[in-house]
Amino acid sequence: MSSFACSEQLDAGNACLSDPTVCPQGDIALRDTILEAVTADTTVVGLPPIGVEDYMLLANHGDSLDTRVIVRYDTLMQKFSTKSGDSTIARVDSAYVKLLILVPDSAHKRTGPFTINVYDVDTSATLDTVSSAISSLFRPDRFLGSAEFTFQSLTDTLRVPVSDSAVLDKVKNGKPLRLGFQMVGTTGDLLITSTNKWAGTTLTYRASPDTTVSPVTATPLSHTPTDQSFLAGALADYVIVARTASPPVTSSLLSVGGEPSRRVYMRFDLPSSIVDSSTIVRATILLTQAPNQYGAARLDTMSVVPGAVLVSPQVKDIFTALQFMSSAGSFGLSVLRTVPADSGVKEIDIVQLVRTWRGQTTTANPRVVALRSATESQSGAEVDFYSTKAAAAVRPRLRLTYVPRTSFGVP
Amino acid sequence: MSQRPMMFRARRILRGAIGAAALLVSAASLAGAQSNLSTQGFGYPPGELSSRAIATGGAVAEIDPWSPVNPSSIAVFATKVLFFQIEPEYRTVTTSKGTDRTTTARYPVVFGAMPVGDRWVMSLGASTLLDRTSSTTFKSLQQFGSDTQTVTTKYDLNGAINDVRLAAATTALSWLRLGVGAHAFTGRNLVTVAQAFRDTTSFAGFQLQRNLGFSGGAVSLGGQINAKYVVAAASVRHGGTMRMSADDTLLATAKVPDHYGVSLAYVGIKNSAIAIRASHENWSAMNGFASAEQAPLCGGGTCSAPPTFHGRDAWDVSVGADMEGPRIGDYGVQLRAGYRNRTLPFDVGTHEVTERSITGGIGTLFAAGHVGVDLGVARATRDASTTASERAWMLSIGLTVRP
Repeated sequence: MSSFACSEQLDAGNACLSDPTVCPQGDIALRDTILEAVTADTTVVGLPPIGVEDYMLLANHGDSLDTRVIVRYDTLMQKFSTKSGDSTIARVDSAYVKLLILVPDSAHKRTGPFTINVYDVDTSATLDTVSSAISSLFRPDRFLGSAEFTFQSLTDTLRVPVSDSAVLDKVKNGKPLRLGFQMVGTTGDLLITSTNKWAGTTLTYRASPDTTVSPVTATPLSHTPTDQSFLAGALADYVIVARTASPPVTSSLLSVGGEPSRRVYMRFDLPSSIVDSSTIVRATILLTQAPNQYGAARLDTMSVVPGAVLVSPQVKDIFTALQFMSSAGSFGLSVLRTVPADSGVKEIDIVQLVRTWRGQTTTANPRVVALRSATESQSGAEVDFYSTKAAAAVRPRLRLTYVPRTSFGVP
Repeated sequence: MSQRPMMFRARRILRGAIGAAALLVSAASLAGAQSNLSTQGFGYPPGELSSRAIATGGAVAEIDPWSPVNPSSIAVFATKVLFFQIEPEYRTVTTSKGTDRTTTARYPVVFGAMPVGDRWVMSLGASTLLDRTSSTTFKSLQQFGSDTQTVTTKYDLNGAINDVRLAAATTALSWLRLGVGAHAFTGRNLVTVAQAFRDTTSFAGFQLQRNLGFSGGAVSLGGQINAKYVVAAASVRHGGTMRMSADDTLLATAKVPDHYGVSLAYVGIKNSAIAIRASHENWSAMNGFASAEQAPLCGGGTCSAPPTFHGRDAWDVSVGADMEGPRIGDYGVQLRAGYRNRTLPFDVGTHEVTERSITGGIGTLFAAGHVGVDLGVARATRDASTTASERAWMLSIGLTVRP
């Protein structure tokens, strides 16, 4: 439905306002329609891929979410430098790891202490990033150290001591040291900087009782998988999810966010008479939100970021395609702010993106919109929407307001 | 200097002038305009009058060689002539809500004429038949489903329908001049509509442009009888088919409006004329354009038939005087005054728009008679029996050069 007339002016040129007949031009009629234009939609779990996070989420939310941070030191120096030359490391003292964190804002500072435990998570298992395999290594016989903190006293650096003997064993025997961090005590979460953007978590220890000798510092490094060096680099530090209350992905739900993070892929089919021959002034995706009843941070506000998929349709794999999302704010796309536990119809405006589809074939410019969380991998918050497989009343729709090809100008 | 080089130079000047004329008559600029009474339909008709004729209310138009109305009138030119005219209008539209003021600059007449042989004079020029230059901005409240949105709409219309005339006239007898003209009506209306929405997050503003092109033809005949104390002149123009197209698509056809007019002047006073004139133009011939596609008006869930313009056959009557005034140097100053009453071609809704003008002006020569300047001023009052009324000051400046 659309409506327009000079007679509906609120504030006009004086003459036009007083007497609409003196407006010498015809009016522009806008049309408004709602289409079930989504032809395919799906949720993809695990994006961004493991190891490429800027911040690693160390979370302790009980049954809702429990994540662990893994840091690998696959090469440890066996010699240290002194003024008289290099010496073989024969002792280790005062070993600790230094974690650089993003200090939580006041809204996320819980009261009460929490403890960070460190475990040896080195394993000879082939699948050394599988969550279940790694989680089982967080056991007492692999405990290496711990430190207690309070949220209120947090600074941007945390020091956690680790076992000197364990480090010495790794150094002496040339074995990799792989540390797993677990948060216990007061529920909450920390964001630890990763080597993808920062220096990462460093391991420091003294190899000599001489205080004039500098301590030895090791930075994260991964040698596995051995056949994919670019993956090995990313796995110098990464996150595994030991426990989550997020529901499994189903065809009837589209999930954004959570941990491991999820993205949504939606492909549209629009009538050429609208997208190519009309001028679109509003395009809004109408998504019906399903309340997330068990997930972490389900009462926190989170932002859903829409984006274009900047990859040729020749890339058929949706997991790969979703790694090429446009940056936040591009194409004039604004975020949707919602609370995971909320419900009802949510709107995402994509008019500027839809305008780029005009006159373009779907092979040149795929009509795809992707959704991700603004705090992807940094929060357990996950919002769910009903998909095209859900009941008809709650399926995704696209509302279009457009100016049809019109004959304006003839008086 | 021989006659032949002078002829070449004159032709070059004429060609250049006509080329410039085609551009100038289609150019108009406007600032801060809003809605109005005078620019309905396909626009406002300046009248194809020279500055001299405007100063007399149009009364001398049929005998005025600078007004491209009666082709026989150019027979009076004994030398090559170039003429150019600028005509700004300062318009005020008043309603119960307040007043809008606009300024419109027009270049309504440009032409050149030159004698050919002993008995003939040829002329090529262009004048504005209908000037549609205007701008309208208004806000409206639009409803989309359950959403209501404030929308600002701006229409910019630029362009005109111009009358390009090739005319020939002869002094058939000492008291009789005859002329014929071939007219090409051409021009365009560049219509730009832009809408902006208060909510710039969900809505994206847009701008659309449409170029309406016009083409048509007509022929005109004119005659002028010169008696001792009286000059009588009449002309008639018969219009052919006029086409309106958008890009390469023909939208509609109509007719070029037929025109006829008569001027009767008393010339018993030296270098003076007291004249009356009546002319008629059947603008309804353009109503054929109303068949062009139009979008319906929609509001409140219902759509009504689109509004359409209504061209009205109109009379234009005037009385005026062009009197010899005081002398400045070697040349006299002509003093002019007049009154004009006419109906404008396109209605406001169903209301006829009338225009009454009180006019005045002066004219004189400079540079050993090679340059002539005419100034005309008109105070126009336009009324359409609506809540809005319109008044305008029009200043007309004509420049004649005899190379």
